[in-house]
Amino acid sequence: MANRTGTAQRPNGSTQGKICQFKLVLLGESAVGKSSLVLRFVKGQFHEYQESTIGAAFLTQTVCLDDTTVKFEIWDTAGQERYHSLAPMYYRGAQAAIVVYDITNQDTFGRAKTWVKELQRQASPTIVIALAGNKQDLANKRMVEFEEAQTYADENGLLFMETSAKTAMNVNDIFLAIAKKLPKNEQATAQGGSGQGRRLAEGDTGAKAAGNCCK
Amino acid sequence: MAKSSYSKIDEYGFERPDNFNYEVYDSFMSKYIRVLTRRSLRWNTIKEGHYTKNNTLKRFIRKGIPSDRRVAVWMATSGADRLRNESPLTYQDLRKKVNNKALIETIQIDLPRTFPDNIYFTSHEYLPQQLFNVLATFSHQNTEVGYCQGLNYIAGLLLLATKSEEASFWLLKVLVEQLLPKYYIPSMSGLLTDLDVLNALIQKQEPILHRHIQNIGMPWALGTTKWFICLYSEVLPTETVLRIWDCLFNEGSKVLLRVAITLIKLHKQKILETTELSELIACFRDMRSHEGVIDCHQFMKDVFTLPGSFSSNSLDKLRIKHQK
Repeated sequence: MANRTGTAQRPNGSTQGKICQFKLVLLGESAVGKSSLVLRFVKGQFHEYQESTIGAAFLTQTVCLDDTTVKFEIWDTAGQERYHSLAPMYYRGAQAAIVVYDITNQDTFGRAKTWVKELQRQASPTIVIALAGNKQDLANKRMVEFEEAQTYADENGLLFMETSAKTAMNVNDIFLAIAKKLPKNEQATAQGGSGQGRRLAEGDTGAKAAGNCCK
Repeated sequence: MAKSSYSKIDEYGFERPDNFNYEVYDSFMSKYIRVLTRRSLRWNTIKEGHYTKNNTLKRFIRKGIPSDRRVAVWMATSGADRLRNESPLTYQDLRKKVNNKALIETIQIDLPRTFPDNIYFTSHEYLPQQLFNVLATFSHQNTEVGYCQGLNYIAGLLLLATKSEEASFWLLKVLVEQLLPKYYIPSMSGLLTDLDVLNALIQKQEPILHRHIQNIGMPWALGTTKWFICLYSEVLPTETVLRIWDCLFNEGSKVLLRVAITLIKLHKQKILETTELSELIACFRDMRSHEGVIDCHQFMKDVFTLPGSFSSNSLDKLRIKHQK
């Protein structure tokens, strides 16, 4: 992907700030809530029974950080183990990843660790990885301790939050935390296309300041 | 716009999409009802239960199987009848062998996630139970495949179309084990091959379109995995899907590639007008709303003309060339 750079111009010619576009991929075991996190973040909705994702889905959402507009291209993947062979084509070139597990299911935490290892080995070396312990609304059925996941995240340099797509807890926050951590100028990382978000001219994005974004 | 005489729910219990074009559908159905009547009379020349595979039957099937004959024709032409008759165990016997706890749990998680907006699945408790029985029985007797997400949608639509748990099981079995490439095994090698085959066919037939999609950076898998895995259920309008399945059961998996090429060709102009990934993906996602797709009768004519002729032989060669 070519780096397109641009500084958005207001009609009067003053500078509005940068617009950066990042590719973000969601990974994790089946039925941990990947699609639900995206649906909550992008549309503010939640369905108790979300259809299982076959292959992958793609959505976009924009957040604002100070003078920068961050547009996420979100690639939401299928969780079942056998769809694993398709995953590399989705995380290739991703600047960010959210690895999701279900706090009520220890196996899904193990699977999340496997995903983190694979990303550390195979994905862009500058990828920003966040770990999301989802279904926090079911904390009374918790099987993965907060501290255990926090320690693992610290050891591996991951952002970490427990989230709930159902109550919206920490959903916007985890995307915002990623946006903050992503480099937003060309000098910040070497070689565009891998670690570097594309900076766009205003006309390129079609992005509307939506929902949680500054007006 | 005049109020449509068609409800928001189709006859199989699926909600029509928000942007569904009732005007187009009304005008299509006013013609299609006459087609259905005519076809039904023509089918009267074929004695029930006598579905020997030949060119006449093939022609008849391509023009649509009357819904009251669908199960019997699917069972006969696909080889599901033969599978059932030759099986030493009955479906009921096989069902009793369901005992793998992990597999049962995996399938159970997907039951409420299968067609959560379909009124029959949400209002009748027996349907999710039948879906479980079909999927669990299938995955226990085929341990190489086990359970693959996507099979839930196929089995779900089979249940809605056949209204028979047992027929759904044998049809699912014949599809996965005889008619389709190895889409559902853990490596999904057959799927990866067909994604590459489709890529090669589009590159050859529509080089400009192919380059455009490549330049925008959409992996074929993103737009089309569901086409192959779900056999277009959850992708195209139900009537259109069942017309595709009529041919799939009789002629095999080649029709899936024919449909893929037809869809892409019908959307050529729209695809070329897209300038970024999100637009291109939206175009692929909204193909169900295209006039030429809603008109399932015309669509099936296009499926056998637009992609040109490609023999089973040449498809076999392509699949070997792209084998994973």
